[in-house]
Amino acid sequence: MGVTCVAQVPVAEGKSVQQTVELLTRKLELLGAEKQGTFCVDCETYHTAASTISSQGQTGKLMYVMHNSEYPLSCFGLFENGPCLIADANFDILMVKLKGFFQNAKANKIESRGTRYQYCDFLVKVGTVTMGPSARGISVEVEYCPCVVANDCWNLLMEFMQSFMGNHTPGIPSVFGTKHDSTYSPGDTMVQYMELFNKIRKQQQVPVAGIR
Amino acid sequence: MAEGVLSPGVNLEAFSQAIAAIQALRSSVTRVFDCLKDGMRNKETLEGREKGFVAAFQESLHSVSRDLGELERLSNLVGKPSENHPLHNSGLLSLDPVQDKTPLYSQLLQAYKWSNKLQYHAGLASGLLNQQSLKRSANQMGVSAKRRPKAQPTTLVLPPQYVDDVINRIDRMFPEMSIQLSRPNGTSAMLLVTLGKVLKVIVVMRSLFIDRTIVKGYSENVYTEDGKLDIWSKSNYQVFQKVTDHATTALLHYQLPQMPDVVVRSFMTWLRSYIKLFQAPCQRCGKFLQDGLPPTWRDFRTLEAFHDTCRQ
Repeated sequence: MGVTCVAQVPVAEGKSVQQTVELLTRKLELLGAEKQGTFCVDCETYHTAASTISSQGQTGKLMYVMHNSEYPLSCFGLFENGPCLIADANFDILMVKLKGFFQNAKANKIESRGTRYQYCDFLVKVGTVTMGPSARGISVEVEYCPCVVANDCWNLLMEFMQSFMGNHTPGIPSVFGTKHDSTYSPGDTMVQYMELFNKIRKQQQVPVAGIR
Repeated sequence: MAEGVLSPGVNLEAFSQAIAAIQALRSSVTRVFDCLKDGMRNKETLEGREKGFVAAFQESLHSVSRDLGELERLSNLVGKPSENHPLHNSGLLSLDPVQDKTPLYSQLLQAYKWSNKLQYHAGLASGLLNQQSLKRSANQMGVSAKRRPKAQPTTLVLPPQYVDDVINRIDRMFPEMSIQLSRPNGTSAMLLVTLGKVLKVIVVMRSLFIDRTIVKGYSENVYTEDGKLDIWSKSNYQVFQKVTDHATTALLHYQLPQMPDVVVRSFMTWLRSYIKLFQAPCQRCGKFLQDGLPPTWRDFRTLEAFHDTCRQ
């Protein structure tokens, strides 16, 4: 487990999502990265049930339940700007039992699927983000496995991302800022995915080709 | 060395005498029991029988004590050949009767002599080389050599307490580096050095000489299943495999047979420069990555970071 940066890559001008993904993966393969199977990150949205809002006088908060194929035995529960809970995989069943408090917004299910690449000590996952039947965007996750402190290796990570993402290299993720010298954890990766998925959801109506 | 065990001219004689004495003792003891078993027989009068029995019993007991005295005298002559042997228990190898098939003992002696000679010559050579000071840094060594003119005679037999002291002093010298010392296999120390949140190093020592080092990631497991330090398996990450190679090179570079504590200290100072392994760009090409690896080389003198291929 190392330090991870999750970013969105805009779809290239005049190309489809699939073609842009192929462009990226071809660049990675030219660099010398090796294909290592596939990956999947999914996210389900839960609304706080109407009955609890009225009785406690709070505004409804969204809760996200996420899975990551890199951690197949875990399940992540997150609030926006809130705590990140790492639970066993049967947390999903618990959520079904809590139907009275949290309601699953099925239509909001979003996921990213794609290929996992390894290059030296880097893991790169290029995925297509889909919501329902339609492809919404492209996610790129880059992990530098040997390092455990985010700020130590940010410059190194950025240099690596520049080598295949060019001018679409992202800025420093907001989770890095709050970490200082503490150890990076898988939960931080899930927060980044949650932020990315939220960003993509808001872009719903915009035509895909224009996204930056 | 071997004479004490292999050709004990007088001792061998004493040995055979002692064996004969043991046989005599056994037969006289047997006679005592025979006499007891037979009891009072074959005599006409009761008085005669009792008298004869007591006399025979007394005589056989006397012979037992006489034989025992003789055996004790001989056993002092035989002595204890193997205990005060210079090679301790390995001296027992010389007792192996099939010398031709397993010439372990003679090989052992050869190796011992060879290693002693090597140590001696290395000491002489280092003394000469220090006088010729070719390196700029040799001036410093000259100063410390004057301050402490008495060199350790053979650095392989330093007391464990001294090794502990040296390691403790180094541990206190570098706050970002923690050193854990353990001795799982006898007197040789093993160190687990944790450098910040960057890496862990396993150092296997023989006295104050560093025999082997392995560098692993901060998040990697350094113990085997039974809870001992894992000194054999390498890191899963290429960057730490590379650093392990460089650390082994550093072991060969930092050599000063007469002052092993200086060697350990220099090695640790060099190792400490890896605290910025992921943060320092290469001093030559200015980049962080080359072939997917950060600058893994640290110059032995300046401690500057270079890529493996940029360092020449």
